[in-house]
Amino acid sequence: MSALKRVQQWATFARIWHIYDATWQNPFKSAEVVKKFLMGLYKPIYHPLNDCGDHVIIINSGEIALPGDEWKKRVYFHHTGYPGGASWTLAWELHTKDPTMILKKAIYNSMDGNLQRRHTMQRLHIFPDANVPKSLLDNVSNQIRQLRPVPTRLDRYTAEEVASYPKLIDYPKDYIIR
Amino acid sequence: MVFTTAVNFIRARGPDELWRKRRIFKLAAHFIGRKRNCYSIAVRYVHRALVYATKGRKLKKLDMKDLWETRIIAGVNEHDIDYRTFRESLYRSDILLNRKVLADLAAWEPYTFKALTDVAKRRAIDDGLASINNEHKVDGIITRGALTKS
Amino acid sequence: MSNSHLFLKPAFITTPGQNGVGRYFCQLQRVVLKFCKNNGSSRGMREFIENKLIDFVKETPEVAVYMKPRRHRTPIIRAEYLNGDTQWVNARNFTEDEILKWLQLLKTQSSDKTGIRLRKLLHTDHPSVQGPWTPYTFRDPKLNLAEFPSPELAGPHVVETTATEELLEMYKNQQIEDVNEKRAE
Repeated sequence: MSALKRVQQWATFARIWHIYDATWQNPFKSAEVVKKFLMGLYKPIYHPLNDCGDHVIIINSGEIALPGDEWKKRVYFHHTGYPGGASWTLAWELHTKDPTMILKKAIYNSMDGNLQRRHTMQRLHIFPDANVPKSLLDNVSNQIRQLRPVPTRLDRYTAEEVASYPKLIDYPKDYIIR
Repeated sequence: MVFTTAVNFIRARGPDELWRKRRIFKLAAHFIGRKRNCYSIAVRYVHRALVYATKGRKLKKLDMKDLWETRIIAGVNEHDIDYRTFRESLYRSDILLNRKVLADLAAWEPYTFKALTDVAKRRAIDDGLASINNEHKVDGIITRGALTKS
Repeated sequence: MSNSHLFLKPAFITTPGQNGVGRYFCQLQRVVLKFCKNNGSSRGMREFIENKLIDFVKETPEVAVYMKPRRHRTPIIRAEYLNGDTQWVNARNFTEDEILKWLQLLKTQSSDKTGIRLRKLLHTDHPSVQGPWTPYTFRDPKLNLAEFPSPELAGPHVVETTATEELLEMYKNQQIEDVNEKRAE
């Protein structure tokens, strides 16, 4: 193989590092997006047997937003293997124990169960907040766009902004605000 | 069928045993363990293998179709157009390329593929197909439709 | 029907390369003729050795020819090539002319052509004119200067205006109108 072809090969199969901000994102829909980058499905050279998957860093996994009342209703099942070893954990419980777990499981479950899946998961780096080691952050050269815009919370607005916000109605004087 | 002699009632065993078995063993030559050496085991696995081969001929075509589609989707998403619009627009532009060729172009001749997506986008804008709006930048592609409209 | 192709060496179709562009180099290095001295199946081989072998060797001094007599076995031709291939030809009941033709074939080919299975009937060393796709082919150059994570790159691509934004826009327009009206007065 000539030097040019060798470099061509390196370029085509270069591992790209992507970063994804999970703030206010649905973890299950995000998983479908992140999966494509992890497995290399976004490359026209994709083949299940060629090693073209990329690295993805997910930040702010503690800030994910589950749809509806799934924090209370979604249950994660685990069995230790011993009799009576079954346990059921609600999503909010799991999230307080490990804020990266829901996203990690969502991505793991979004992929087909084959021998490649665990190796693909090795290329996923989830952080509960924005503190990423510099050695990892230096590799990043692309950012995955979020699925929906992040709204600003009411308590994050400054007093000035709240005051200058247009007022549609005035409450009647006898209206009681609880 | 009318049998005139009793000989015909005897079950026909076909060719000589050695050659009959040899035919099976030839197909089992690449198996591992007793299923390549013992006839009664080999013949079961050979029959199973032939069934798989028959099914596989159809599955291979489906698998290749899926793979090509994955690659084309990867290619078109890079240029902000979705697969269905892309294929429909190409068809409307009389560019009748099949999945195999499109996937090959996406991987091996990326600039040709980009030109195809530009043509498709132009056509999709002219025909008002879904998911394409005029804000998409399509430079340097002029079609008959674009000239008459504007 | 057989699966014998599974035992062959998979390879791509090739050309003999540049052999003969500058000078020709015979790819056949060694030939072993194995035969029996009295068995009838080796008769042609024995006649070949007697009548034509010396001429053959004089024509092709670059090939080492060995002879190996062995009792009561089928004659064979074993050819070894420069690339390491070993070809084995069963020469049972061959006439001397047939053996000569086989040797000519072995001498002129570049490797063992019967020991390979073609993976595809088409092959090229240069599959791409424009260069294969790389992650950098259509990369936005703006990303080279971006600091990651970047808030501009975080949000979704196409966002419809929300009701809140529309309301704020209306409010702003209204205020401008008010100011204009006041000025007009």
